[in-house]
Amino acid sequence: MIIYPVEVILVVTGPVLVIGAGVAGMTAAVELADNDVKTILIDRKTTIGGNALELYKAFPTDDCFYCFEGNRWRPGIRKCFYRSAMIDQPNIDLKISTRVKGISGTPGTFLVNLEVGPQYVDPRKCTLCGLCTDASEAFHLVSPQCQPQAVSYNPERADDGAKKAEEDCPTGAINLSATQTEETITVSDIVIATGYHEMKPSTIDEYGYGKLPNVITQLELAQMLDPNGESSGALLRPSDGAQVKSVMMIQCVGSRDENYYPFCSKICCVFALKHASIISKERNNSRVSVVYMDIRTYDRHERYYRETRDAGVEFVRGRVSRVEAHKDGTLDVYVYDSLLNKYLKFVVDLLVLSSALEPPEASNELISSLGLNSASGYVGSADPLSENEVVAGDHVYACGGALGPAEVPESVNQARAVVSKILQGRK
Amino acid sequence: MTNKSPVLLCTCGKQLKLDYDYLETEISKLDLAGSVTVHDFGCQDSGLETIAELIGESEARLVIAACTSQKIQPRIDQYLQSLGKDSSRIAYVNIREHSAWVHKDPSEASKKSLDMIRGALARVEDSKSIVSETKEIPNHVTVIGGGIAGVETALSLSNLGYRVTLMERESSIGGHVVQLPVIAPTGKSGKEIFSSRLKALENDKNIDVMTNTTVKFIEGEMGDFLAHYISPDDEDEKTLQTSAIVLATGFKEFKPTMIDEYHYGKNPDVVTQLELSRMLTEDRMVRPSDGKPVNEVVMVQCVGSRSEDYKRDCSKLCCTFAIDNSLEILERNPDANVQVVYMDIRVPFENEMIYKESRERGVDYIRGRISMVWENDNTTHVRIYDSLLNQYLETTPDLVVLSSAILPSDGVAELSETLGYALEEDGHVKDLYGKLRRTETRRRGVVAVGAITRPQFVFEAVTDAQAAALVLHNELHGGKIEKVARGAVLNVDDCVGCSLCAQQCPRGVPLMIEQTDAEEEDEAQKILFKAAIDTLNCHSCGVCQSLCPSGATQLNFLSNSQLWSEIEAVLEGADHEYPITVCFYCEECSVSTIDIVGTQRMEYPASSRLIPVPCAGRVSIIDILKAFEHGASTVMIAACEKDRCHIGGTGNEIAQVQIDVARDILNAIGWKGERVDMYRMFSAEPDRFTNAIREMVKRAQELGPTPVHKGTAGKWMEAVE
Ligand SMILES: Cc1cc2nc3c(=O)[nH]c(=O)nc-3n(C[C@H](O)[C@H](O)[C@H](O)COP(=O)(O)OP(=O)(O)OC[C@H]3O[C@@H](n4cnc5c(N)ncnc54)[C@H](O)[C@@H]3O)c2cc1C
Ligand code: SF4
Ligand code: SF4
Ligand code: SF4
Ligand code: SF4
Ligand code: SF4
Repeated sequence: MIIYPVEVILVVTGPVLVIGAGVAGMTAAVELADNDVKTILIDRKTTIGGNALELYKAFPTDDCFYCFEGNRWRPGIRKCFYRSAMIDQPNIDLKISTRVKGISGTPGTFLVNLEVGPQYVDPRKCTLCGLCTDASEAFHLVSPQCQPQAVSYNPERADDGAKKAEEDCPTGAINLSATQTEETITVSDIVIATGYHEMKPSTIDEYGYGKLPNVITQLELAQMLDPNGESSGALLRPSDGAQVKSVMMIQCVGSRDENYYPFCSKICCVFALKHASIISKERNNSRVSVVYMDIRTYDRHERYYRETRDAGVEFVRGRVSRVEAHKDGTLDVYVYDSLLNKYLKFVVDLLVLSSALEPPEASNELISSLGLNSASGYVGSADPLSENEVVAGDHVYACGGALGPAEVPESVNQARAVVSKILQGRK
Repeated sequence: MTNKSPVLLCTCGKQLKLDYDYLETEISKLDLAGSVTVHDFGCQDSGLETIAELIGESEARLVIAACTSQKIQPRIDQYLQSLGKDSSRIAYVNIREHSAWVHKDPSEASKKSLDMIRGALARVEDSKSIVSETKEIPNHVTVIGGGIAGVETALSLSNLGYRVTLMERESSIGGHVVQLPVIAPTGKSGKEIFSSRLKALENDKNIDVMTNTTVKFIEGEMGDFLAHYISPDDEDEKTLQTSAIVLATGFKEFKPTMIDEYHYGKNPDVVTQLELSRMLTEDRMVRPSDGKPVNEVVMVQCVGSRSEDYKRDCSKLCCTFAIDNSLEILERNPDANVQVVYMDIRVPFENEMIYKESRERGVDYIRGRISMVWENDNTTHVRIYDSLLNQYLETTPDLVVLSSAILPSDGVAELSETLGYALEEDGHVKDLYGKLRRTETRRRGVVAVGAITRPQFVFEAVTDAQAAALVLHNELHGGKIEKVARGAVLNVDDCVGCSLCAQQCPRGVPLMIEQTDAEEEDEAQKILFKAAIDTLNCHSCGVCQSLCPSGATQLNFLSNSQLWSEIEAVLEGADHEYPITVCFYCEECSVSTIDIVGTQRMEYPASSRLIPVPCAGRVSIIDILKAFEHGASTVMIAACEKDRCHIGGTGNEIAQVQIDVARDILNAIGWKGERVDMYRMFSAEPDRFTNAIREMVKRAQELGPTPVHKGTAGKWMEAVE
């Protein structure tokens, strides 16, 4: 066997902060931890997983949304969120309900001020025994797949039952008097994995979103279709709970639109057709039509376009001009069909808006406090000429939705690229 | 020495509705049970301490009956590891999600729990300690293809401490990127983008670049591949030993000569988009036919793509390329007139803004199709069907540019013959798992980056390369691999040389090795090839074990005898009055589905008995028949969805074959094949499991007693006659 001489100078550097624990942030954290890098993973919510937790089934594999890539010691085995044991990984310090308050210092030694929200339930102690959720409305399980596997407490719903649960919790996991704290950490690298946010299109008058209950977004549709959700996956009209017989989807809501976001949100055509496919094939054959400008099912995602056409989904090229609600709960949708050059009227039970994917709230602050480039409000790469999309600055990286609308496989790949770059910088 | 194991029974803070007195008494009566400890919190500090004490009682044997091992095992492993104790012989029984939470009647749930604990005791009795092993391999990787993806992978690997050999078929490196006049969204030429990497490559002592070098085939396995190649200075084939392979052979543009209507190949003024790129890069913006200036251009999108006749899917990049090239034409000739004929314009994210700019600068977009290109009086004529106006248009452009499909480069299929990675229908290298495992292939130690996996923009190919370098680093550990050798172990003496394991292992781990010095008296009896399995490369699925006719290869944590004694123990006392359904479930998507059913407190019949296996492919026909032999009424396998095998391969397809054969056997011997079935599931749809188990329980009741229950088993030969 040949052993090649390679000079490796190990630069010992500090821990890495990963902001945002969606699929991208979790992947980055686990890969770093496996490579012996201390990692602080923060998320502003009580449950990690990000958008994925609410999205049911994922293209391109059409299985759950709730997993990410496993780790080095069991190579390649993917991990459902619930069994990812993020609170038990040796090199990961997971901080939930935590946000970044300020960043100072210099690349390589950033001083990050963290605001850590009240830790009402100790995730290491909670066993999900169910005692508190039976006793009080203030406790609930966000999702059976939530990570950490622990109940969440909502102080706004505090009641006597909650007090009693605090006393009775068999493991003493509950501390209702917990308060917010602050801490400052020193890290050598920062990974931004803050994801994206689905725009709430209530400002676009013609669709009636926010006013008409049967007008929803794709994310809301995903939750309706989820068998673990309220309606057990049945497609029911929000207004009256009646069975939905016809659905219309509208593409490019707030995207490709100078008044909102000029960019294309890239994945909404694919997930709209994924939903259209589920509805037409697996939900008692409701009728689906899609109003679009261009159908953008890149690469092998074209399969969804073929399959939905074969399943009888109707595609209308044009724009919606007006939506009116009837007393019986149905909606009249007026569409200008640019192929037929005609105005058409459709009567539907449910109108689903493929709303723009916008940068999350804190994106702008992070970009300005770290002096990064902005790509339409998302994190831009430091040097576009290098084509290194994940390198956002000196010792600053970004992956997943934080870089712009991305699908899960891309997010994971980017997270791995970030870890690769960090490790390369340390060898 | 004892073969008994202590048992820890967890009450989950006294919240589980099980009869613990009954369990304690009954377990204490079992031959294989040592001490029985009832504990309120197995997962908390006090529980961990108790576990650490119990682990010392019987050579590290221990059965923990608590909630799902998927949650507590990592914590327990870690705790024991920190104390230097062995956790590899612990068997977990899920009496919470798989029993107490899903069955109303506490006595039925307790009975089920007891049966499964009895099974785990049987499995633990014969278990082995699994220890860490080390091996050293060359810290050397071979990259095939010197486009931007290959070069970036080489640079990343070098930065991670590897020696790299980069082999390129052409005389220079750079691939397609250096032919592109502009790279969206940077606006810079491909050459500029490539130049800094070229410099880094030249200065990198860890990277050996070999141009004019063609890889013929590669054999071996991760850590010990042998690449056979030919290089120009030597006619003979040469070889290179290497630990891992990076496929970066890129794409080729479809040449649409066979599509009659475009006249490509017949009319020199009909070119492809890549040919136009080259013209722009070389500053030759004239008509190829006669060197006259180009003023009128028609671009045709989706040539060969999105077509049932050629490539079904979209090539992703060509809309952006067409727009970039249109702008580049206008840059050079502001008076030029560019028309783009399209079905959908597909430009992701901020490329939309470039699309908008091109419209503002006068590029004309016509939604429709080209119906014909012909020549008349030395002019090119094009007939366009405009689907928005529903009419035909005719123009006489100087140049017709076809946005032709992007296909994988030649030679991937040939290399896969010995390397064994899987291909997509479109000929690209297939991801190990589409949702999460890009760049990884079915073959361990082989990654694929850039356009060989799918059409990719340059920045995506660069990300791919960086990610793949990490994937390989995670596998090769810098050449010093130290890990727990949990997986298949081969007893060479038992191998009969059938090569089933080598053919069917989802990750290509077993190799058939020529037995050069086998000394057999009888030439005819001599086994020429025998298998070899490197346990450290194994993915622990057990497919080879379930197929091996002689039991030569077995998982070291779940041998045949372990599983058989578990089956027998679980089914103790099973009869027709309380018909039992045995469910073998994979410890990947199936365990998750069953766990989530528990967390959701969904109910299903308590006559089910669940037996874990690492992958559905571990279950053999014999395992299934053993379950019937010991009194099961029906048997099911719960597996991941088709083509979503966690191992990345074919575990659940192998399981399907086992089920099909088992059903044929049952039918042939008059036992009714419906007694066995396979179900696929994932946790987002938990009712897939409850529906499956209800169906199998229903069949158990309807099909009535089996010949084992009736005492007529073994007389089936008469029955068939
Ligand atoms: C309707 C819909 C359907 C989709 N369907 C698919 C599909 O089928 N297949 C597919 O591949 N992709 C799909 N996607 C895209 C997919 O959701 C994303 O690719 C993926 O979830 C991105 O993961 P992420 O980790 O980058 O971001 P996120 O999931 O958004 O996670 C970001 C995390 O960061 C946290 N965070 C944000 N800001 C801060 C801060 N300042 N401090 C601390 N924490 C912060 C958030 O709480 C969140 O947990 C879909 C998207 C939508 C909207
Ligand atoms: S009572 Fe305590 S252990 Fe039980 S679910 Fe509530 S917080 Fe968790
Ligand atoms: S992906 Fe489709 S729906 Fe979304 S913005 Fe782009 S074109 Fe519109
Ligand atoms: S990118 Fe555009 S031209 Fe290329 S196949 Fe897709 S839709 Fe057609
Ligand atoms: S257990 Fe699976 S991965 Fe391991 S050698 Fe056998 S078939 Fe291959
Ligand atoms: S690993 Fe878990 S989350 Fe992922 S597909 Fe399987 S069951 Fe679903």
